[in-house]
Amino acid sequence: MISIVKKLIVVSVITGSTLFAGSNSGITIPYVDFPMKEGKGMYSTKGKCNMCHSFGYVINQGLQSKKFWREKVIKMIKVFKAPIRTDKDIETVTNYLFENYGNGKLQ
Amino acid sequence: MQRRDFFKKTMVIAGSAALGTSHTDATETQHPIDNRKISDIAFPQKRPLITYSDRPPLLETPREVFTSVLTPNDLFFVRWHMPMIPTSINPYKFHININGLVNNEIKISLDELKTEFEQVELTAVLQCGGNNRTAFRPTAGGIQWGVGAMGCAKWKGVRLKDVLHKAGLKNEAAWIGFNGEDKAVYNKTANFVRELNLKELNNDILLAYEMNGENLPYLNGYPLRLIIPGFYSDSWIKMISNITVTKEKQKLHFMDHAYRIPDNECECETPENLADKTKPIEEMNVNSLIGYPTTGTKIKNNTELIVRGVAFDGGSGIKKVEISTDGGAIWSEAKLDDGTQGKYAYRSFSYTFVPKQSGECTILSRATNEKGEMQPFAKEIQWNHGGYKYNGIDEVTVDVVA
Repeated sequence: MISIVKKLIVVSVITGSTLFAGSNSGITIPYVDFPMKEGKGMYSTKGKCNMCHSFGYVINQGLQSKKFWREKVIKMIKVFKAPIRTDKDIETVTNYLFENYGNGKLQ
Repeated sequence: MQRRDFFKKTMVIAGSAALGTSHTDATETQHPIDNRKISDIAFPQKRPLITYSDRPPLLETPREVFTSVLTPNDLFFVRWHMPMIPTSINPYKFHININGLVNNEIKISLDELKTEFEQVELTAVLQCGGNNRTAFRPTAGGIQWGVGAMGCAKWKGVRLKDVLHKAGLKNEAAWIGFNGEDKAVYNKTANFVRELNLKELNNDILLAYEMNGENLPYLNGYPLRLIIPGFYSDSWIKMISNITVTKEKQKLHFMDHAYRIPDNECECETPENLADKTKPIEEMNVNSLIGYPTTGTKIKNNTELIVRGVAFDGGSGIKKVEISTDGGAIWSEAKLDDGTQGKYAYRSFSYTFVPKQSGECTILSRATNEKGEMQPFAKEIQWNHGGYKYNGIDEVTVDVVA
């Protein structure tokens, strides 16, 4: 009998402390799909951009000029050290973004 | 009313919103987008919000939430720079480190923060510098926020000043650098570090562990974040775990390039002629938002309507909020709450009127602060490349039915 009471106390203390700590149980951040438009360079862009952040982070910059997208790609390389290494890769990603999420203006 | 009904008029999906908004040659600043769809997916400790990204989480609060001084924690907006956020933190093991130009490099636990320092409560608005960015033409770079990248909460914590005092600043100390627990995916990417000049340190800057009487939600920076009342949120570091004091300002992308505006009278520039000299966005300008009604709400003619919303600025305080229902020809003062939450909090306002004509009716709100600064019309606001600090007169258009 005493051991049962002890167990109950232990259980309630554990439960109580978990509740008290609240956020301590941790969280799981859900996956949200941000579909990419089909187009030339999509797979290359997906591999290079989505490795570090969601595609939502890209498309929610709004429709932009080719210059804007090129500068963003270069910023990712220079500031954030994105592993995009060749000029050809820079062009592929820039062209994909401009053709699918561009405002029609080069500058 | 069911929450679903509340939000069912909101039709634009954040993911595709950009497609319909920016392909225009209009050059005037416009009213920002505010009818984006609430996501079907709730993030942890949150109700479903407008969702721009999951890695890092970027969540916006819908307009209809802004009718009272405090924004509920589970509706509070979320903005991270780095996508790797700790999803489990042990509050009994968590420490904040104070190092650099201090007499004693120290580690302080949450328990020590709560027991060994004076506890301070302060209500303050937290607003992203890019809130309302969709107002700008041409489209400014950055997340295309609508009106809800902001919120107001009662924060509880300790003064940053007291914590620094405990470590003891050395004579040559000049800059205080803050870093949180969020990390980039790629290990060569620098952390999101922000700095504050020691001259700007004041009694109101807090390290807060509580938000509206609860632990901070993870996505708002559990277990500890920096609170800089009156300033835009770019330096309100979440999950803050390290403070480094230095003599020289560090070279940091997020200080030297991001969150800066033209350093000229109008804080404006053009895409063809970007300003050479820039300054940090820092103090928030005067603003107001109508929480009820929202655009598209059906209102019965000849029936009393109570317009509700919030107004705030960078800490001088709100002097008045005015409402116009005739496009800005006649303005009438709204009733403000008693202001007991302090100068950094939202002032909630209400304005009662009876529509006398069926059809569309546009309701405008305009706040004036204690410095005499008044919100301009959207079209009077000039462009800056980051799309920061929009504070145009707010408007909603309701449908008055017979």
